[in-house]
Parts: sequence; structure tokens; C-alpha cells
Amino acid sequence: MVDGGGRVRPHWRGVLGAYAAIGEELPARAARLDRAAAEDGIASVLPGSDATAPAWRLDPLPLPLPAAEFAALEAGLAQRARLIEAVLADIYGAQRLLATGGLPPALVFADPHFLRPCRDLAPPVRLHLYAADLVRGADGGWRVLADRTAAPSGLGRARENRRLLARVVPEAFRAFPLRPLHPFFELWQDSLQRLAPSASGNPAVALLTPGVAHPRWFEHMLLSRDLGCALVEAGDLTVRRGALLLKTLHGLRPVDVLLRFLDGRLLDPLELDGPTRAGVPGLLDAVRDGAVCVVNHPGGGLVEAAGFAAHLPALAPRLLGEALMLEQVADGDAAPSLAPFLGSGGLAPRPVVLRLFLVHDGSGWRALPGGLARAAGGGAAAWPPMPAGGVCKDVWVMAEDGSDSIGPAPRPAPPLRLRRSPGELPSRVAENLYWLGRSVERLDRGARLVRAATARAVRGAGLLAHEAAELDCLLRCLHHATLLTGEAGGAAASPAMLARALLATVREGRDPGAITHLFDEVARLTESVRDRLTGDMYATFTAALRAARAETAAARGGLEALAEALVTVQRYAAAVAGMAAENMVRGGAFMFLDLGRRIERAQAVAAEVAAALDQAPARIESGLRLVLELCDSAITYRSRYFGVVQPAPVLDLVLADQGNPRGLGFQLAAMHSALDELAEGGGAVPGERLALVAAGLLAEAEALVAGVLGASDQAAAAAAAPARLLAMGARLAALSDGISRRYFALLPAVQALGWGGAAT
Amino acid sequence: MGRGGDVRYRLRHTTLYRYAEPVDLAAHLLHLTPRALAQQAVLAARITADPAPARAVTRQDHFGNTVGWLFLDATHRRFELVLEAEVAVAFPPPPEVSATLAWERVAAAAPGAEAAEFLFPSPLLPADPAAAAFAAASFPPGRPVLAGLLDLMGRIRRGFAFRPGATTVATPVARVMAQRAGVCQDFAHVMIAGLRALGLPARYVSGYLCTRPPPGQAARRGADQSHAWVGAWLGPGQGWVDLDPTNDLVVQEEHVVLGWGRDFADVSPVRGVILGGGAHDVTAGVDLEPVAG
Repeated sequence: MVDGGGRVRPHWRGVLGAYAAIGEELPARAARLDRAAAEDGIASVLPGSDATAPAWRLDPLPLPLPAAEFAALEAGLAQRARLIEAVLADIYGAQRLLATGGLPPALVFADPHFLRPCRDLAPPVRLHLYAADLVRGADGGWRVLADRTAAPSGLGRARENRRLLARVVPEAFRAFPLRPLHPFFELWQDSLQRLAPSASGNPAVALLTPGVAHPRWFEHMLLSRDLGCALVEAGDLTVRRGALLLKTLHGLRPVDVLLRFLDGRLLDPLELDGPTRAGVPGLLDAVRDGAVCVVNHPGGGLVEAAGFAAHLPALAPRLLGEALMLEQVADGDAAPSLAPFLGSGGLAPRPVVLRLFLVHDGSGWRALPGGLARAAGGGAAAWPPMPAGGVCKDVWVMAEDGSDSIGPAPRPAPPLRLRRSPGELPSRVAENLYWLGRSVERLDRGARLVRAATARAVRGAGLLAHEAAELDCLLRCLHHATLLTGEAGGAAASPAMLARALLATVREGRDPGAITHLFDEVARLTESVRDRLTGDMYATFTAALRAARAETAAARGGLEALAEALVTVQRYAAAVAGMAAENMVRGGAFMFLDLGRRIERAQAVAAEVAAALDQAPARIESGLRLVLELCDSAITYRSRYFGVVQPAPVLDLVLADQGNPRGLGFQLAAMHSALDELAEGGGAVPGERLALVAAGLLAEAEALVAGVLGASDQAAAAAAAPARLLAMGARLAALSDGISRRYFALLPAVQALGWGGAAT
Repeated sequence: MGRGGDVRYRLRHTTLYRYAEPVDLAAHLLHLTPRALAQQAVLAARITADPAPARAVTRQDHFGNTVGWLFLDATHRRFELVLEAEVAVAFPPPPEVSATLAWERVAAAAPGAEAAEFLFPSPLLPADPAAAAFAAASFPPGRPVLAGLLDLMGRIRRGFAFRPGATTVATPVARVMAQRAGVCQDFAHVMIAGLRALGLPARYVSGYLCTRPPPGQAARRGADQSHAWVGAWLGPGQGWVDLDPTNDLVVQEEHVVLGWGRDFADVSPVRGVILGGGAHDVTAGVDLEPVAG
């Protein structure tokens, strides 16, 4: 920020001017930034992560780069990228540099990132996405600190930083002429499509991520969205007859270009790094055969090795006929310049490392007019390639006239075929949505049951006989749903024991309670389907989930607090349902989320009504009242039948009536139409008409109600119903298995064979 | 026996996988074609697979070996591979021991482009201090490199017990050093690890050994399976010498070469990845018979 003479650099004056209107509000804006980041889920909600301490904080002040300075960096890094491409082409090709002393053989042969099976891949480009870390020396010039050539990280974060900052300090953007980021992403998307081996049709691009558990999952998800491509894991892909295919709901679909963010050594277990289960067997064969283009080159990470960069200055004249434009950091010669970061005591200068990103557009290299700046520690040893967290800044490249004309015109796209069917959904995503639907419903169900039990348990010894029976029934339901484990005892147990058991459902820590465990499960599944949710939906899902969890965690003190806290859990479930209903297109994603919810609720209703009716006919009325309470149907019942509680009307409302969203009939009807529509969409397997199973269950529910209505003793008939209800529950479980088999990639285990014929 | 010093062999190598459960999808990678060399003419070589693969590809790998890929996408419960080949081998006798370079000079030249690929630790052969110390005893200062190599090979033959089943393909060299027992692959690995520790390039050679020894000689160890030995570098322009530490034998006319790499993992004759299959067992058989030329 300050030059050698202690003067503020001119471009910083522009930033400080743009921020003048914000003035003393800056700390408040920084707090808003933290909140916005948390809502966007950068502070992950995954289990084990501390939601209150995001790995990365975004500083409210950007790092400005004057247009001329950025242009010089872009040219210098483009040259460097060309050089690295030439080096990789040689190492993975003829190896002339090794034979003639241009590179020491040890640099290549001793490095595990040199992937021998990739010698003959011959792709159109080896380096497609390139990033470099830079520091500004005391003389004001930028120097290259490190090259990132495998699967550079930070692009997704850079774009997210810009979005967040634009939301929180909009006035600064109005006052500062800076270049937008989106043209770069459009160009990138287009250049990925150009890499497709065959020119026909709409090339399918997929971004390969290691999965939800990976620390950079969030970036992969954002990038796949910005690039408009499928987000896939290795398990979603398969190679058949030399072609790379994606497993979708409606069969295998070809993939033409794979942007890989998986370690190159894990791409193909058949050829690389011994017998691991990750990766796609046969992928390298498909690449060699020219059926698919993988970028960056699986072995591109070799150039990142320490000691490689030292050879580049000598190689540039030899391979490019040019001298390197950008200097690089030699051991210990750089004292990075400082930039102001907002801390608790106001602005304080900290050393800053800049990461810039370039993409090859088919003819040349283009830099993102922005980047990621991060606060660094003291010496070069304290600058890891990309730490797991810290403080970062948006990078503002000042606009010049005409600076937005960028690259060649986008390639004209052939007209798209209209699609309304859900077929393109990867099977794994469909499965995760299905289980998310089930888990959210289970959470709601659990909260409802625990609340109902708590309302009775707090009265301890003062319970009336029928209330004690209800409590027993609720505890049975909780056991049946495996939400209560161990010996909670019945209503007859000591109140303290009962309270302990109920409170244990929300226990945190190493032995989490059933509801806490569901929080984790829901968070994991939400994260795994995040690329299918809008930003608002994701924010609502996670904010409400975090709030509900915080409430229950705070409720350890007693049953009243627990009952109160569980209301927020039910509100969370309602928010998810509402957001999904109002925001999701009725395609595959919504259908599977909804199917999961419906089947879970159907099973719960069947089990709970069975438990409530499981008593002597003389006491059936108490059971019926409990049924109405659990199915949230008491008010509807009263409006239809006033105060008179009889078996047939109650069972009609909760089992057969297709208009009651809390009843069984509604769930079965919804499942029937969803399964019917999915089968219509293509490829229904003969003899496995899942929709028919749902229809059969609906008929069974109606027959059950009709049987009670026609019985001379309705109470006795109702008391005999539990066995039929439990049988329906078993058929629902079988239906769920059928859905798994039909739609989800239910694949047998992969195993590495033999390493056969051990030599003796 | 052949004419003019070469020996002709007929080779048959069968590998049979049997699976407890159906296999839906299988990919196999084969290093199973004898390598054509100045010292080894490949007269015929054919690999047959049953069931037949949906896709079969043949290429050369980084080391110049012939590699085959077989992809099966029809459900199967057994998979059989048969290699049938006819080769003529005529390895020249090794150079005079005293005419070879001092081992230090070989080591000094090793980082150059010719042999550096076989100088560094590899996936199955990380640096091992015990193997290093064992090998060092054969290389006192100034000793001609071949003298040291022959001495080391003999010490491995005498110092390690040949015990099939004592190790698997995954057994580390450190364990072999500790138990002083193993099979040919382990002895090759011990020797290679020791040589590399001294800065001497060494490669793993995969192949076969004739089932019948020359008249009057003891039966060879490890002859009815795949075999493995060591290629050691003699210095710039001096080429490589193949040494079989399992039998304390300089490779001349009893061995057939499939190919070479840094260790077993680079040239495993048959490896694969399958979907499904459950438990499986594998049986292999090798016949290498001299034929009239």
C-alpha cells in the first residue's frame, strides 16, 4: 500500500476514496460480511466443523491492481504458462530436456507426481487452468512465488468474495471503475467446450470433485454452477468400450470433457498408484483413445515441485526463444509488501500473497481480472501453497477503456433440444436428495414425538391413567423409530430417568443423541446436493438448521426448554418443505426430495397409528385422540365431527383421506403420481412397476377404513388394525428398497484384482 | 537346443480367476508379451482371453514394454488368460569382471539420463537401511562393479531361504530383510533396493525360467511360475547385465524376458479392477520348454 518513500500508492488512494463514504461503519460492514459468508455456507455446516469460526474470513478492503500492472502480470504469467506447457509436453513426450541436460533427470524420475502411464496421452493441452502465487518485493515489482498446475484452488472463492463484497459494500463498487469477473467465466466455459474431442452437438463437460468431504468441495460446487457443467464424483462415472459415461437416472450419458479437481494419481486405479478404489478404471485408456479430454493433464502437478521453478529462466530462451518477463522469488530474497487488513484494533498492515488465475482459450492465455489475495505469515516458509483458512481479500483490477473486450467470439452453440424430463440427474444426487427428504422428515417426526412425550413427562406423578397410557405409547413409538435407545422405562419409570432419556436425544459430543445425529446427517446431505439448490434455498436450509441445532444444544437443562427448542426443529422442517415447494422445478431433484419425505412420513404414520391402537377396545378412544394429535389432525377432525371421537372417522382422516397432508393416504397418492411420472420419463423396467405398489397400498388403506366403518363393533375392529398397519409398514420399506434398486447406482463393490501371478 | 548358441523355447502361461459372485465389469492390464530384444527374438506370441473382451488395446508403456488392456462388460464368473509364445534367447556372456568400471564410477555417472530412471526409490521399494547395509558389504572401495554384483547375488542366494508363501506381492523389503526368507520377487527387490542405496541403477525384470536345468545341474528354484530377477547397470555405454539372485545365476540361456520396470508394480503380469465378484481365487501355471530349433 505504501511505497518505499512512505507514500500511499496512487491506486490505494482510489480504494480509500471509494471507501470514504463508509468511514467508521467499516467494522459493522465487516461483521455483515462474516454473517453473509456464514449464510452462504462458506462457514460449513458439516459435522465436525465449528460453524462460528469460518475457515476463511473476507476482509472488507480489496487489494487494488492498476490496469497497466495487471496487464503486465497477465502477459508475464501467460508466457510462464506457455513455458510450462512446453515443459510438460516434453516430459510427457519425447523427454529431450532430460536427454540433453535441460532438466536433471532426478527432478522427474524421483518425483511421485511424475505419472509414467501418462507419457503418451497426447491431449490438445496439458495445462488448461493455471494459477500463480505472487508477492510484491520492496522495489514494488511482483515476483512469482509458486506455480499451481495440477488443480489450482481459489477460483470459486475469488468469485464468491466478489459476490459477497458487492452485497455488503455496494457504494464502494459504485465509486470505483473495476473490471467484472463474469466474462472470464463465460470464456472459460466456452473454452472447455472447445476441448471436446468431437465437434458435434452440445459437448458434455463435467467437473470431477473428490466429494463432499473434501475441504474444497464448496469451491467445486460453485465452479460447476458458474461453468454450467455437471458436478460429478468418480463413482458417478464409468468407462465402457473406451467411452467415459455418467450414470444418470435414465442411464449412461457420455462425457466429453472432464475438468478434474481430483488428484491426478487417483484418476485411474487400473494404471496409477497401485490398488486404490478411488478413480475411474479405464479412464486413461479413454483419454489415450481420444474419447474424452481431461484437464489439467493428470501428471501436471509435477511442475509444482520445489526446485522446478529454478530451471524455468534457463528453459524459456531454449523452448520459447524469449527471456522470462516475470522474476521469481529466490530463496529468502523477498519481503512481501504489506496491505491493510481490518482487525479488532482497526486497520493494520500485513504481508500479502496474491493468487492470479489463467485459462487457455484454445489459442492463448487469459487471466481472470481479479484474484485471491491472502494475508501471509512472516517468512517464505510461512506461505503454504494454499492454507486451509485465514484472511483473504477480493482483488480489484481497475478498468481501462476497452479492457472488457475479451478473447474470440464465443463459439455458436447449436440449438438445444427442449427437455422437461428429469433424466439428467446423476443417480448419486437423486439418492442424496431422497435421503435428505427422509432425514428432514425423520427429524420433524422425532421432534413431534419427543415434544408430545415431554409435555406429559413434565407432569411426573400427576398424570391421569389415560395420559400415562399415551406416554407409554409415545415411548414405544420413539423406540420403534430408534430415536430412543436403551431403557427409558415407561410412564411408570422414575421421572428423572425419563427426563434423562428424553434429553439424551439431543446430546452433543462423542456419543450424540438420535436427533443430534440427524442434524449431522441432514447437514451432510444438504451439502452434498448443494449444487441443486439455489443460493437462497441453501441459505434458508442451513441457517434454520443451525438455529435449530443451537436451540436444542442449549436446552440440556430441562424438559420445558427441550420442548421449546424442538419447536424450532419443526419450523426448520416446515421451512425446507416450503422452500422446496415454492422454489424447485418439478423435475427429478424435487421429485426425489419429495419421495423421500413422503415415504418416511407414510412409514411413521403407519407405525404410530399401529402403536396408538394397540390396546383394549374399551380404551380405544384414548388411542384415537393420540392418533389425531400425532397426525396434527385434531382441528380438522373437530371441524368435521365436533367432539365425538369414533374409530372409522378418525382412521378415515389419518389413513385414507388423500386431502390430509399429515395422513397416510396423501403420502401414498403423492408417491403414486411421482413414481408414475418417473417411469413415464423413460426406461421403466417391466415387472417392476413401483407406482403400482403405491397404488396397492392406497387401496389397502381404504379397505382398512371401510372394514372398520362396516364393523358392528368399530372399537374392536380398530383394535385389530395394528397388525395390518405393520404389514403396510413392511411393504413401504420394500418399496423404498425398490426405489433404491431402480434409480440409484446400487453397484457392487469395486476390488483391485490379483496383481496376479506373483513371481516366484 | 537351437543352433548358433541360441535356445528356442515354447512358452505357455495360463491364469484363471474364479469368482464367488458375478463380475459385472472388469478391466485388466497385462504385461504378458515377451519383449523383443537383441538377445531375445520373439517368434510368436498370442494372448487369448475367455470370455472375450469387449475392447482390447495393445500399446507400449513408458519402459518400452508391450502392454495389453482388456475390458469386459458382460457378466462373468470366471476369466481365463492364456499366453502362448515361442522365443529364441541368446544372451551374450557377461564382460570380464576385471574389465568393468569401479563401482564408484558407475554410481557417479548414474544420475545422467541413461539410467537415472532406475536409481531412485519406487512405490514398492522405498529406501531401506537394512538392504543398503547388506549390499554395501559387497562393494569395498574401488571394486569392479561386476565383481560386487556377483558377490552380492551369491550372498543373497546363500543368506536367504527360498520359501513360497512366506511373503506376498505386498511384503516390504524391510520384512524380507528381517525374516531372511522369501521368493524370487523378494530377492530381486532386496538386491535392487541395496544397489540403489549405493547409487547404482537397478531394474526389476519380469519373465520366466526354464523348468528343466541343463544336464547335471540342480533343479532351479521358482521355475514353474512367473520369475523375476535384476538388471544392473554397468556404466555409461556399458549396458546392463541380468542377474538372478534366486539361483545365483547370470542370465544367459535359461531365462525368457517379459519386460522390466522399477519394481514389481510396474510390470505385474496381470492386474485388474473388477466390479462385483465377491471372493475370488486365482490359479496360474507356466510351462517353458526348450524345443528343437
